[in-house]
Amino acid sequence: MSTYHSLEEKDYGKLTSQVSKRLLALLKPHWKWVVGFLLCIAIVSIVDSYTTFLSSRIIDEGIIAGSRDAIVKIVSTYGAMILLQAVSVFGFIYLVGVLSERVRYDLRKHMFNHLQQLSLSYFSQTPVGWIMSRLTSDTERLSDLMTWGILDVTWAIINIATAAVFMFIINANLAMIVILMLPVLIVIAIRFRTRILYHYRRSRKMNSKITGAYNEGITGVRVIKALSREDDNLEEFSELTDGMYEASFKAAWLSALFLPTVQIISAVGLSIVLWRAGMQVQIGNMTIGGIQAFVSYITFIMWPIQDMARVYAQMQNAVASAERIFNLIDTEPDVKNRSRTLDTDNIQGDIRFENVHFHYEKDDPVIQGLNFHVKHGEMVALVGPTGGGKTTIVNLLCRFYEPTQGTIYFNNIDYRDMKLQDIQSRIGVVLQTPHLFSGSIKDNIRYGKLNASDKDIEDAAKLAGAHEFILKLEKGYEQDVGEGGNLLSVGQKQLISIARAILANPELFIMDEATSSVDTLTEALIQRGMEKLMEDRTSFVIAHRLSTIKRADRIIVIEEGQIEEMGTHRELILKQGKYFNLYTQQFRHELETQYDMFNKPEATELV
Amino acid sequence: MLKKNFYDLNLSKTLTKNRLIGLLRMMKGYHWLYIGSTTALAIATISRTGVYLVLRRFVDDVIIAGNFGSNLTNIILMFIGLALIQGGFSFISGWLASKTAESATRRLRNYLFDHLQRLPYAYHAEAKTGDLIARSTSDVDAINRFYGEQAIGIGRILLMFIVNFIALLQLNTRLALYSVIAIPVIIAVSIFFFKRVSKAYEAYQEQEATLSNRLQENLTGVRVVKAFARQGYESYKFDQENWQKFRLGKKLLSLHSLFWPVSDIICGAQMLTSFFLGAVMALNGTITIGTYIAFVSLVIWIIWPMRGLGRLIVQTSTGMVSYHRISEILKQDRESLTEGEYHPEGDLDGEIIFHHVRFQYEENNPVLKDVNFTCQPGDVIALLGSTGSGKTSLVNLLPRFYDATDGQITLDGVDIKKYTRKYLRSQIGIVEQEPFLFSRSIKENITYGVHREVAVEEIIQAAKFAAIHDVIKDFPKGYDTLVGERGVTLSGGQKQRVAIARALLKNPRILILDDSTSSVDTETEAQIRSALEHLMQNRTTFIIAHRIQSVMDADLILVFDKGEIVQKGTHEALMKQSGMYREIFDIQTRIEVELEKEISSVDLS
Repeated sequence: MSTYHSLEEKDYGKLTSQVSKRLLALLKPHWKWVVGFLLCIAIVSIVDSYTTFLSSRIIDEGIIAGSRDAIVKIVSTYGAMILLQAVSVFGFIYLVGVLSERVRYDLRKHMFNHLQQLSLSYFSQTPVGWIMSRLTSDTERLSDLMTWGILDVTWAIINIATAAVFMFIINANLAMIVILMLPVLIVIAIRFRTRILYHYRRSRKMNSKITGAYNEGITGVRVIKALSREDDNLEEFSELTDGMYEASFKAAWLSALFLPTVQIISAVGLSIVLWRAGMQVQIGNMTIGGIQAFVSYITFIMWPIQDMARVYAQMQNAVASAERIFNLIDTEPDVKNRSRTLDTDNIQGDIRFENVHFHYEKDDPVIQGLNFHVKHGEMVALVGPTGGGKTTIVNLLCRFYEPTQGTIYFNNIDYRDMKLQDIQSRIGVVLQTPHLFSGSIKDNIRYGKLNASDKDIEDAAKLAGAHEFILKLEKGYEQDVGEGGNLLSVGQKQLISIARAILANPELFIMDEATSSVDTLTEALIQRGMEKLMEDRTSFVIAHRLSTIKRADRIIVIEEGQIEEMGTHRELILKQGKYFNLYTQQFRHELETQYDMFNKPEATELV
Repeated sequence: MLKKNFYDLNLSKTLTKNRLIGLLRMMKGYHWLYIGSTTALAIATISRTGVYLVLRRFVDDVIIAGNFGSNLTNIILMFIGLALIQGGFSFISGWLASKTAESATRRLRNYLFDHLQRLPYAYHAEAKTGDLIARSTSDVDAINRFYGEQAIGIGRILLMFIVNFIALLQLNTRLALYSVIAIPVIIAVSIFFFKRVSKAYEAYQEQEATLSNRLQENLTGVRVVKAFARQGYESYKFDQENWQKFRLGKKLLSLHSLFWPVSDIICGAQMLTSFFLGAVMALNGTITIGTYIAFVSLVIWIIWPMRGLGRLIVQTSTGMVSYHRISEILKQDRESLTEGEYHPEGDLDGEIIFHHVRFQYEENNPVLKDVNFTCQPGDVIALLGSTGSGKTSLVNLLPRFYDATDGQITLDGVDIKKYTRKYLRSQIGIVEQEPFLFSRSIKENITYGVHREVAVEEIIQAAKFAAIHDVIKDFPKGYDTLVGERGVTLSGGQKQRVAIARALLKNPRILILDDSTSSVDTETEAQIRSALEHLMQNRTTFIIAHRIQSVMDADLILVFDKGEIVQKGTHEALMKQSGMYREIFDIQTRIEVELEKEISSVDLS
């Protein structure tokens, strides 16, 4: 639980050798692309410096020497260089860009596949939004560093180095002045970039608060109007926009200050160079073309420096992103196959809970010493108040979690000795709030058995009682269910999830009945679908409906993680205890709904 | 009322059809800053060009003339001076431009936020939340970029062109003209290209959204995935979208990898032509070497920035689209909170008369038809009827979330349209079935409706009356617990009781209650019931009832069917009539009989 908290707010990470190794491993499968783009950018960088040198030759060897031929020759070389550079530019943009997309693809794929292996405990402790950021912004930041970042730094270093070489060729003395200037420029640039990025990130955080405020202001508008909160809200909101203004204005004017500062420093350097150059010309050590080359080199030296500083500032954030991504990849699933597992071809047979304990967090037991034995084909209804532990029992049965103490036996075999896949592929689950995936109805039912034919799907839907309403939809089985199935009603979603479970033909059926009321007809259809599923199968139902409860072979009343009462409907009614109370309360409630005069018959119609 | 003016301009009044003019009008008040920024930019640009003209003199007058000494020192000082002016003014320009952009954006954000909360409820009932949020955030960001980057960026490039071109003309007219031949081509190519890029980019972004949705679905449906052991299938589905994103990214990159070398060649060719012509002229002595050197540098500053112009021009279109999207919100009329001629001193009594009230959301489809009733201060009025029969529409008329289409509603004898909405709403409290709580502390949620400092004791008192104090007390952070914080989830019933505490503190004269407690257990239901009774004391109360028990004590029961009151009276009176009310009531007795029968059938079997 603490893992995600400790990494949440961290913006800066340190590039340790271990992290760098793992980072480089990302590029390893694509090393040819890396070599390719490094080669291209090296050419681009060298040509950049060389053409500046060439243009100084035009002056010295062409104009001053009075040779038209030399001009033609140098300009032709220059033209060839431009063509060479264009080819290399094409090469590096394509190579590094595609590589960057590829690294993102790899990272997302790796993380997604790993997520599929993680246990339910991970997902209940880690917010969806946190995981999403790992696969989006962190992935982008990391791949940018490993591709464009490396490219920019390579370009900058080679550019400065070759420029230095040419400057030394032209005049070593003056070149030294420029070299001395470099560290100053680099340090200043890095400090600027780090500050700018800091304020920029601050403004992004402010921005998400502003989005949150808009969200509340819009979704809560009725309450705001009813309570006349408009003025106070505007005042509170303006504090956010003030904060945003402050942070983004600072980031913006620091950026505006950055380049001029670098330029002024280089101008001072240039002045010293020109001043000394003036003297050197006198003694014949410096040519006019040489002066022109120095002017260009110094003027354009700010670009590589600014690139290096930017990458350096971003690197710290990207490393923090990398740490979070590695943290996700390194998480071990809590529930996994033991090193030695039995091969099972079915999980049919008796199910036995033996002294089963469970807690999500220490000192907070959820299940305390459950013992019961369910015979093959029995239907068990779990009843009791919310938070009593019914859902946890279902989670344990599905082996989403394993007991912290005690054992669950399927057919007298400790279920931990079986393969997870073997268990879960033989269980059919219908959840309280049915989750559908975006796509067609057909796709959603097929989720139960991927190689099912259209006819199988229709048959399952018929058994589930979903066929009729599906046919009434505009596109029938091809109808899109919307994101999370939100284009359908709760009752319809439930019918489809029952059809999905029927298609899977499970050996053990588990259902968490919906508490929310659906109309009578749908209700009846759902009941019928459940009956179909429970035929000849062991089934567990977290039951809310009287009809379900009464049908059960056995009712277990769970309260505070323990079995309060267990028996048949008749036995427990006669006992006049907890079950009796629950039952009478539910009885009144159901009849009230059933007899509800407000719900006219037309309201119960499906679709 | 406002302590501070959060926006000094009515932005709704600045709207015009022409988007560019509209954008400029929207930054009214900051125009001088913007002009200042442009001026500073011009000075900076001129200084840079000046540097090269000085360089020309340095070559011609100092080096070639062999005139070292004081001339050299002067020129070096001019260099440094110009560099300082250039640097200083480009900073000033950037500073002013970002001040303009950020100030105008802040004002727009404040205005938009306030505008949204003051738009009529009818507008919000229709609008999509996600869409409004997108317009208020990303579209505002786009406008910010328009002011801060695009407009000023275009200005920078144009200024650079103008200043350097004038300088070139001074140096040599023919050369100058030869040096800009390719510029229209560069601009055309870059506009052509960036239009395509922005399309490819959109497709890429859309795929990003698709991919995120797929991921989110997988994460929220993790139990289903595991229950069906569909991990492999999920990976396969994800991989398809993931690969598609890679493909679209590749396409986008291919465009870029074509544009840059092509534009490199065009710019390079232009540059080289100028170099060559210049060099030949220098060779022939038509221009001096110094002129040639200055010329070469200026040409570089003219040609290369032009590549960016196309990008900026294409990007401004997003700013204009965003302007249009925001203006669609801004042009909606606000509802006035302060309009109204009747300003009573103190509180209302709470006598309400509905006189032939008719209401419809759309033409010819009335949801309330000819509603008539009268109630005295302190009365409890119960509204009974099926979903869509008009109960909610009726109570929506009281705080004037909507206004009646026809007829009149009077409060203490005065038409409610004569009250200011602000006063009216200060007199009405609403407790909904699933009330909206804000993601702030429970304490702040309880005091949300009172516009004054509230003592802690008072909050606790209200929470106690609302039967929620014991629940809050048990949270680790008590009243400071954030609603929606991890590990703390309020159930529907608990939320309702927080809303009751909120209403108690507000102390309104008229109360609107949605009485639906189906999702809570008996004990909680009893607690809510007692909390509500406490709340209803001495207030005119409207109850949207879902069950018969909560209406039996009402002073007036209104039975609704299809927008009409079909029965009206007290419980006793209605029981004497045959009709919907008695049918509903009879069911309650029948239920008890059936329960009895059910239990005894178990005994017998």
